[in-house]
Order: sequence, then structure tokens, then C-alpha cells
Amino acid sequence: MKCENIAQLIPDYLHRSLKSDKIKLVEGHIAQCAECHAQVAIWQKLSLIPDEQPSPMLRSRFEAMLNAYEEGKSEKTSFADARRTVGTSWNLWAWMRAPLAQAAFALIFLAAGFLVGRHIEGDRQNNNGNTQELAALHKELVSTRQLVALSLLQQQSASERLQGVTWSTRLGEPDPEVLAALLHTLRFDASVDVRLAALDALRHYGDQREVRTGLLDALQRQQSPLVQIALIDLLVELRDADAVQHLKIFERTPSLNPAVRQRVEWGVRQLSRG
Amino acid sequence: MLRVRDGVGEMLGVLFDRYHSPLFNFYCKLTGDRTLSEDLVQEVFFRILKYRQTYRPDTPFRAWVYQIARNARIDHFRKQKPEVEWEVEMSPAIVPTDSAQQKQEAELLHRALLELSEEKREVLVLSRFQELKYEEIARLMGCEVNTVKVRVHRALQELRQIFQRLTDASAVPPARITRTSEESSGV
Repeated sequence: MKCENIAQLIPDYLHRSLKSDKIKLVEGHIAQCAECHAQVAIWQKLSLIPDEQPSPMLRSRFEAMLNAYEEGKSEKTSFADARRTVGTSWNLWAWMRAPLAQAAFALIFLAAGFLVGRHIEGDRQNNNGNTQELAALHKELVSTRQLVALSLLQQQSASERLQGVTWSTRLGEPDPEVLAALLHTLRFDASVDVRLAALDALRHYGDQREVRTGLLDALQRQQSPLVQIALIDLLVELRDADAVQHLKIFERTPSLNPAVRQRVEWGVRQLSRG
Repeated sequence: MLRVRDGVGEMLGVLFDRYHSPLFNFYCKLTGDRTLSEDLVQEVFFRILKYRQTYRPDTPFRAWVYQIARNARIDHFRKQKPEVEWEVEMSPAIVPTDSAQQKQEAELLHRALLELSEEKREVLVLSRFQELKYEEIARLMGCEVNTVKVRVHRALQELRQIFQRLTDASAVPPARITRTSEESSGV
């Protein structure tokens, strides 16, 4: 049997949805044909990619959403219940059909129209107040995130500190306190991965003076070649005016990793060219 | 699911237990980005709650969930950029450690998967990891079952080539930086 014919069967073979005679056919072929065998092998190899576990944050976010939904729903039902009781006790429909009542309704609606109109006008004036409330809410949200980021950055476990760095990137507008915490993490964190993540987060705020100074300072303190190289790359990317000088000083450090030394030379060339 | 449709919020909790992990892995394998994956899973459950009335009881629930999941991702990337190209920074970091060869292989495979075109990657993730039947995938993508099978076949072919290229490239690492003792004790 030709490869082409077998190739049509392979997807079903992989999903184990072939009949036994066809299975034999495919297996007989892949025993001889390297090409088709590799096809099946890579499918099986995909199982090497492990399943990942979401962080506990996912569940708490889901529960928060569900709570908000439940609260909204209970408010709605209590309102509906209240309406139902009023309706039955007054026997509303029969009452509404009387001609006198109809005239009365016309008047009531007219008055209501007036009131609604005035209310809307009032709302427009109130709008400023609403925007302020929204702004306050937004501010509160940002500061909560900030708090989460700051407290996570101080955790014992490296993965929690990593999460802290991730949170800090969700803040949008950088806050001096968070930036200081990130710079501190970059300088002193025990884990290389956390330091690298902090560096990545700081990349977004590279236009700030304190961040650049912090980066230059961190370069002198780093022991890890990985972080050193990442730092050099970022400094080159930011094109900081003082960076060349600092890199030249850094280059004189004895016992520098050869790969790092190469990177510094490259960095100096890049910066002095621009 | 019918109970969610009737507005019982607790049922959503059961659905969350059953689907949050498969969905998270669906997004992780497609995007290689954990934070984004979590955001998208949250979005899916929000949409289930919001659009539960559109669920038709005669259709399989799983297909409906994956339809929502696909749309959520498409909408997300439409909001970000017209077409998101794979960026190196997004790739799962291959840290030069002496980790087991298998782990290294798994990372290379994931990278190869992420280099596939959108269409091929999705069809592979759905059929291999989410274990959807070809019929389900065909309905999801609005095409013939045979088209799905052809796509799986082509995707595997291309994946093999990319994986081969990545393996060859990583066999001779350029100027490998060894970790200092301070680093390996870091995490």
C-alpha cells in the first residue's frame, strides 16, 4: 500500500477510531516506512508537553465574579416579589379598565413624564459626581493591586515573588513605591528567575529617571551572568546617556564572565555609535 | 448545563471545576502565556454566564464551551493587534540548566508547536490535548471532517520539521553560559 493511502488513515489511527483490519494495515506500513513512522512518533511525543496547573488566583477571580452575579440576582428577585404582592392585593386589571380610572391614569402619566424629565436633567448635573465616584473606585482598584504586588514581592517562596512581579505589570501606571520594590527585587532577590522577571517588568518604565539610575546601580551589584547580560541589553535598548560610562567601568571588573565581557563590548559599541 | 440556562449560578461552579483546567491548558498550549491564559479562562466563564440563554440543549455542551473559548481568544487578539506574530520573549524560556533531556524535548516541542500557523496549531491542540473528535472539530471550525484530518496530517508534518530544526539548533548551543552555584540554588 502506498504512503498516500496510509496517510489518509493515520489521523483516525491516532484517534484509535480504525477497525482492527485497518489498524494492522497501518501498523504493517509504519514498521517499514520511516516517513509515516515519524508522523506517528511526533504525535505520541506531544504527550511530553506537560499539563499546567492554573494559579489559585483563577479560582478566586471566578468566585468573585459569581458572588457579584448572585448579589445582583437577589436584588432583582426581591424587587420582583414586592411588585407581585402589590399586584394581587389591588386586583389591578379590573380596576384599570374603569373609564374614570383611565382618565386618572392619563393625568398620572403626564405628571410622571414631567418628573422623569426633571430627574434626567438633574442626573446630567449629577454626572460630574458619578465620574468622581468612578475615579475613586478605579483608584481603589489600583491601590489594591499595588498592595497585592507589594506583599507578594516580600514572600518567602520564589514563585510567589514571581507572581508579585506579574501583578506589578498589571498596574498600568507606575507607582514610585512599586518601582522601588521592583528595583530592590532586581538588586537583592535570591532567585535569578525573579530578578529576571523584575527586570522585564521594569522595561516598561525605562523612561523614568529613577528606574535608569536603579538599573545602572544594579549592574554593578549583579553576580549572575544571565542577569548581567539582560541588564546590558536593556541599557542598550534604552539608549541612556550615562550608560556608556557605566559599561566602561563595569568592563574593568576582574573575573568577568567571558560571555558577559563580550556583551559589554558589544553594548559600548552600540551606544557610542548612536 | 440546563440548570445554568435556567439561571442557577451554583451550577457554574460545577462547570468551573470540570472545565477550568482543560481550558487553561488549551490556552497555554496555544499561546504559551500563563497570565493571558488565566484571563481568557475567566472571560469564558463570564461569557457562559452572560450568554447561557443561547445554549441549545440538543447540542453537545463541550462543543459550545469550545466555541466560546475560540471566540474569546479571537476577540482578545483582535483587540490587541490585527495579527499577533509569535515573539521570542513569549516563548517558554529554555534555561540553560542540566535538566533532564525529556524536559528539554518537551520545551522544544512546545516551541515548535507555537511556531506552527494559527490554524494548524489549533487543530493539533484540539485533537491531541483537548481530545476532541474530528467531527467536533469540524463543527467548531465550520468545515468538513476530511478537511480536519488533512489539516492534522499537514500540521504533524510541519511540526516534525520545525522540531527537527530546533533540536539541531539546540544540540550545538552557541557560547553556553553555565550557571553559577548561587544561581542554581536560587529557586
